[in-house]
Amino acid sequence: MSDLYLSRIRNWFLSSPPAEWALNRLRSTLVGALAQGPIPGHVAFEMDGNRRYARSHKIETIEGHSLGFEALARVLEVCYRCGVKVVTVYAFSLENFHRPKYEVDGLMQLAKVKLEQIIQHGELLDRYGASVRVLGRLDLIPPDVLEVVERAMAATAHNTECVLNICFPYTSREEMTTAIRSTVEEYSTTPRPHSTAFSQSRITQKLLSKQAVSPEALESIRESPSPPSSDEHELDQDHDHDDAVSTATTLHSSDSTTALKSGCDGKEADEAAAAGLEDSDDNGKTAASPRIYPNPETITPETIERHMYTAGCPPLDIFVRTSGVERLSDFMLWQCHQGTHIFFLKCFWPEFDLWHFLPVLVEWQWRQKQKARDSERARRRLKQE
Amino acid sequence: MALNPRDLNKYRADARAGHKLMTPEERLKLFQPYLPPPPPRSRSSSPRVDEITNARSSSSSSSASASRTRQDRKTRLGVRRFLLRQYHQLVFVIIHIFFSVYIRLRQAYHAVANRFYSVYYYHHRTPELIRRDVKGLRKLPKHLSVILTLDDQGRRSAGLERLMNEVADVAAWCASAGIPELSVYEKTGFLKEFLPETHLAISQQLRSYFGRDRPSLSVRAPHMPAIESARSSSHLHGSAGGGGIGSSSSSGDEDDSSGFHLSVLLISAEDGRDSMVDLTKTLAEMSQRKKLKPDDISMELVDAELTESIMSEPDLLILFGPHVELSSYPPWQIRLTEIFHVPDNQGVEYQVFYRGLRKYAQAQMRKGR
Repeated sequence: MSDLYLSRIRNWFLSSPPAEWALNRLRSTLVGALAQGPIPGHVAFEMDGNRRYARSHKIETIEGHSLGFEALARVLEVCYRCGVKVVTVYAFSLENFHRPKYEVDGLMQLAKVKLEQIIQHGELLDRYGASVRVLGRLDLIPPDVLEVVERAMAATAHNTECVLNICFPYTSREEMTTAIRSTVEEYSTTPRPHSTAFSQSRITQKLLSKQAVSPEALESIRESPSPPSSDEHELDQDHDHDDAVSTATTLHSSDSTTALKSGCDGKEADEAAAAGLEDSDDNGKTAASPRIYPNPETITPETIERHMYTAGCPPLDIFVRTSGVERLSDFMLWQCHQGTHIFFLKCFWPEFDLWHFLPVLVEWQWRQKQKARDSERARRRLKQE
Repeated sequence: MALNPRDLNKYRADARAGHKLMTPEERLKLFQPYLPPPPPRSRSSSPRVDEITNARSSSSSSSASASRTRQDRKTRLGVRRFLLRQYHQLVFVIIHIFFSVYIRLRQAYHAVANRFYSVYYYHHRTPELIRRDVKGLRKLPKHLSVILTLDDQGRRSAGLERLMNEVADVAAWCASAGIPELSVYEKTGFLKEFLPETHLAISQQLRSYFGRDRPSLSVRAPHMPAIESARSSSHLHGSAGGGGIGSSSSSGDEDDSSGFHLSVLLISAEDGRDSMVDLTKTLAEMSQRKKLKPDDISMELVDAELTESIMSEPDLLILFGPHVELSSYPPWQIRLTEIFHVPDNQGVEYQVFYRGLRKYAQAQMRKGR
């Protein structure tokens, strides 16, 4: 009973104008102060615990999700004021489709209504310069929601200051698979022809005439001008093309087209692969023949990264998961991987506020400082030795 | 800013009615006081602000020239911004002073607590004690993964020796607890180059724990042949063949450990993203040779390939560092892995291992449902 009174009194006090004013001042001071230190470029939140919060407070599940949305708005505000560039939130997992239908529908409706609000009040996001992006299997969203999703993305696309990534029907494994698939697609679609100062037909003719004399000579020609290994690892998409490649590939134009088309994997296909191997990582400008593919050996983590949903976002600095569960649960697996600091918090997501986020951010800043100091020390030691 | 309760209630009532109670204008008015000032970033908007201030100031003081008041305004604004910045920096410094005091206290507290735990839970190199500890747990992970770091202080050999001891310790604990699969992640992959030595270190440790009757052991790394040793008769002691027979005869009373096989897997950063890149290369090549359509690439395919060539998904990942940082751990495999660490802990200790197991036993899996 006394508990109830206490909380009443506390609520009354907190909602009194002076206390409210002071709290607001405190909030903006803290946010302003935090912005003075190093600020993470990319923060991810796994908004866990809406349902457990609803259960523990004896309210409807969907109410819990609504409160979760409010918490999200609060946190976004803090993040953007501090200067965080990208915020990624996990709104809906592919696994969530296994939940009861009424809850899935409720979540979809919630998303629809909130996104409609965003469209209606575009200027609110403009104030922060934030654009909304929805990541995931968009094809699984019901059509009426999808239409709103697309409108919301279009309505905020002109903002470049910061980004809100909403992972809507998303799992990280699906994202990685999609990235692998589209990388493979990129590497197995034929690049367009290009023109260099050297005439390919002339080279071909020269080579063919030699080939007519001795077929063995062909091999040596093909091998000798192969690009150096450093060239093979070239990341750059549009660096200049080795003409050796075009020779090699045009050379086999007659036989390997058919070989490839028939799916044969004999010597000819191997030759074609070798031709592909010699080819450098180039999309835009390669010779006209349809079997020149970029060399798969030039695929790097960055290539796959470019095909992730989060392409172009800065590396993930902070990962926050609420509700005390210490798992990644198929969220940001690829992104979490390097220097990301992962925080597991005990509170449920609807309770999440500046007061929970502040320690996380301060600790992160502290660790950054610590790290800088350590590396400085290491460098000094190296210098002494 | 956080909405005050009156506005919040208004907003919630509106939200509950599907945002039909208020018109967009009303809603905007509700939010107006909480919005930050329009961002100063766009140069196009600044003249407009100037005009407004200009108009206001000219109406209040008509005697001063417009240009002068504008300049006046600007400098005062600049001063105010400067002061605000100084104020914020001061608060920032204060926050960090308090925080470093707090974190020192926290580290001290955790250090004391960890000391206490490590005295309270100690294995004494006896498998029976570990087994007794584990007995009460509801479930055990089938595949445990640990992240160890090579302490590279100048000389590598010293760091390597420590690392090997740590691996051997963890392996012995796993064997005692009955966890059949252990994967050890070490970022640089230095350990992989010493596969036979690691095997030797672990089997020696197992001998010191189990005596003659020790479980069989295999140590391997991805794309490298496994080094196996049969139960109780290691290849180092060819004469131990008799012991093998002895242990199989005594398996009646000790069926828990004698039929037990521990497999240790050493992984490094190259088994993470790089392995996925390698897979992509292979797939791209196959696709270029028309052996595979890009649409054939499914989650199951990737999963099967990565599981086959690297490792399966671990059930529990224990970090012995002070905070959770995955440092290039294989991304595909940690999807539902329970991640355990002891805050501010340094060093590989049995108490961390045991608490990790206990935490895992309590955790529940919902898988998004």
